[in-house]
Amino acid sequence: MKRIFSGISATATTLLRVWRREFYLVFHDLGVLLFFFFLTLAYPVIYTIIYNQEVIKDIPIAVVDNSRTVSSRELTRMIDATEGIEVYDYASNLHEARIMENEHKVYGILEIPGDYDRRLGRGEQGVVVFYSDMSLLLRYRTFLSALTDVQLAAGADIRQENISRLGLASDGMGGLPVENEAFLLGDPTQGFASFIMPGVLVLILQQSMLLGVTMLAAGIKERRRRFGGIDPETVPAGPMTTIWGKTLCYLTLYLPVCVYVLDVVPMLFSLPHIGDFREMFLYIFPMLVATAFLGQTISVFVTERESSMLVIVFTSVIFLFLSGLTWPRYAMNDLWTWIGNAVPATWGIEGFIRMNSNGSPLWEQSHPYTMLWILAGIYMVSAYLVARFSLPSRRTRLRDSV
Amino acid sequence: MSLRYLKQSLSDGVRTLVSRRVYLICLIVVPILTTLFFIDMMDEGLPLRVPSAIVDLDQSPLSRQVTRSLQASELTDINEKAESYHAAMEQVRSGKVYGFFRIPEDFQKDAVSGRTPTISYYCNLTYFVPGSLMFKGFKTIAVTTAGGIVQTTLVSAGMPEAVVSTMIQPMTVQTQAIGNPWMNYNYYLTNSFIPGMVALMVALVTAYTICDEIKRRNSRRWLSRAGDSIVVALAGKLFPQTVIEICVGLACQGIMFGFYHFPLNCPVWHMVLAMVMMVIASQAFAVTICCLITNLRLSVSLCALTGILAFSLAAFSFPVTSMYPPVAAFSYILPVCYYFLIYIDQALNGIPLYYSRMYYIALAIFPLVPLGLLWRLKRRMKQMVYLP
Repeated sequence: MKRIFSGISATATTLLRVWRREFYLVFHDLGVLLFFFFLTLAYPVIYTIIYNQEVIKDIPIAVVDNSRTVSSRELTRMIDATEGIEVYDYASNLHEARIMENEHKVYGILEIPGDYDRRLGRGEQGVVVFYSDMSLLLRYRTFLSALTDVQLAAGADIRQENISRLGLASDGMGGLPVENEAFLLGDPTQGFASFIMPGVLVLILQQSMLLGVTMLAAGIKERRRRFGGIDPETVPAGPMTTIWGKTLCYLTLYLPVCVYVLDVVPMLFSLPHIGDFREMFLYIFPMLVATAFLGQTISVFVTERESSMLVIVFTSVIFLFLSGLTWPRYAMNDLWTWIGNAVPATWGIEGFIRMNSNGSPLWEQSHPYTMLWILAGIYMVSAYLVARFSLPSRRTRLRDSV
Repeated sequence: MSLRYLKQSLSDGVRTLVSRRVYLICLIVVPILTTLFFIDMMDEGLPLRVPSAIVDLDQSPLSRQVTRSLQASELTDINEKAESYHAAMEQVRSGKVYGFFRIPEDFQKDAVSGRTPTISYYCNLTYFVPGSLMFKGFKTIAVTTAGGIVQTTLVSAGMPEAVVSTMIQPMTVQTQAIGNPWMNYNYYLTNSFIPGMVALMVALVTAYTICDEIKRRNSRRWLSRAGDSIVVALAGKLFPQTVIEICVGLACQGIMFGFYHFPLNCPVWHMVLAMVMMVIASQAFAVTICCLITNLRLSVSLCALTGILAFSLAAFSFPVTSMYPPVAAFSYILPVCYYFLIYIDQALNGIPLYYSRMYYIALAIFPLVPLGLLWRLKRRMKQMVYLP
């Protein structure tokens, strides 16, 4: 019994020593500090500032009005009055409008045919054509929703007129017999920052930690090369104690970082942030554990401090796509779904944005939460294997030092 | 004499390039694999058939007809039935569906008797693309349902059918999506993210190469083998990389435009030229950063940080014109931004080359920028102080 206790206390002491040494190493390494603190402090702010305008307003278009009547001018005014579109100029024909578009002055052309007013007067359907630039789908989307609103509003006006001209009682007939009402959840203004930032915040946590952890691991290898196989900074400890000691250190450092990134930043910029932060924090915890172990696992590929950047940085884009934020996961094939399953941020993002933007409680996220803990377990084993077989064992270290 | 140095320097450059696996992985494997990743993942073009739920509180022939229309729509896939608003909301929050369509009690009764019931639909916009598609699908069905009822009522009251249909929709806007009428996300995203990835890797590897020489205390030798000329030294070191990077960039274009037939509405060489110029401009961009930042490791970090920011700043998704002006100004120092603008003008819209001239000129200016700053780099190479 006594032996067990002394064993536990010995392990705990070693664990604490690994933890303390890792702290020392982190705070004496500018590169790691840059990733752990500067990146996590600055990036959420920079990204939000880039996207902070949320929606696209007043995209310039050209109007080719071949009708030149009251109703065509009325239509143009209605389109100009929308939030999304601004009539930049009239063009006398389509060719002139295209030149404006080529010169990047306008991003769309509205063509009103010569018989527009005549057709309306005859009770036929008036058709106008809109040519949209497709360089950015966000612009196209803004056009489409503005034009649909105009179409419905103008249609209701014209219908009202037609009905009263037929001599029917016009009140109550202008509208449709079934109303419809849309509710947009999570991002009611359809803003871009509100949509992308919660996911990006989680990804920043993972990527900054991966960069820092791999850089620290590469530092060990560099020192070992310099000092003939031994790293003077490493605390002698078993592989399991080593990886846990380090993970504890990273977790301690990321506690304040998490509060800043996941709670302060959304509040600063009034991003959607309706869930209970304590629950979100509980949710993101296994992601950090999994990430810390993942970082210690992939450090096997990194032999130099700088090459950690070469290996990790580009994965940010891949991980962002794998998480399904841009291209939903139900439309991916099995290969990418499975690769995505292996990335902690995939589950981190999925659950976090539902909690953060949809106000979901933790128990509803049981599936991604379980997946995060499973990943944490898997990566703990892999990190253990890496620590066990890539570090020189104590015996060879002793032999080398003799 | 200087030709000898150039030769010597070039052979050194090739030797560096093949000496380390990391160069070849970053320069060849990463861009090609990423291209295949993007193309294969978004193979379908649009993530149609968004998982959605129906809350049918009416259970009448009319409400079932609406459900069938929703099921038949290519945009939505009704794969859950919920019995109440709360149950459906729970499915949204747990991620089973992206939204739901709610038909109220006594829907058919009210609709026929003119008491104007309200159909409501809920779309989870935390996932933008499926949320928007679903919104479009739901809205279409809601409006056509209403139109169908009017039509039935008016036709049965004796109005001619042709009059009725124009009465329901007296005017319509036909939207023509020029260049990408399929709204294909693959064409849109792959064309912007792949050059972004190429530019990122080019800048990273360039900065890393320079940094590595100084770190290994090799830079003085490197400089002396190039006849003490920084231009020759850099040219020798970077030119072999340029060749590989251009080949890889063109291969990525070949995969997109050649094998997968992405829209290419201009002569091929317009895009080839843009890629060649972007690769060189990205190298120059990295060299400029190396000249400006004293700490060379920091300059690698800076290339990484700007390379990643480029995906947002170069306005692949959110337009520069809508950003705050001081932020938008930053996008003009990124080579990949100009490549993207050239792609829009040339490959997507196919407009005359004349209108894109400024973008090509901008890309040509990038290699000139470091020329005035190279003395700083040279001084540092002679000092050889590596700050970790």
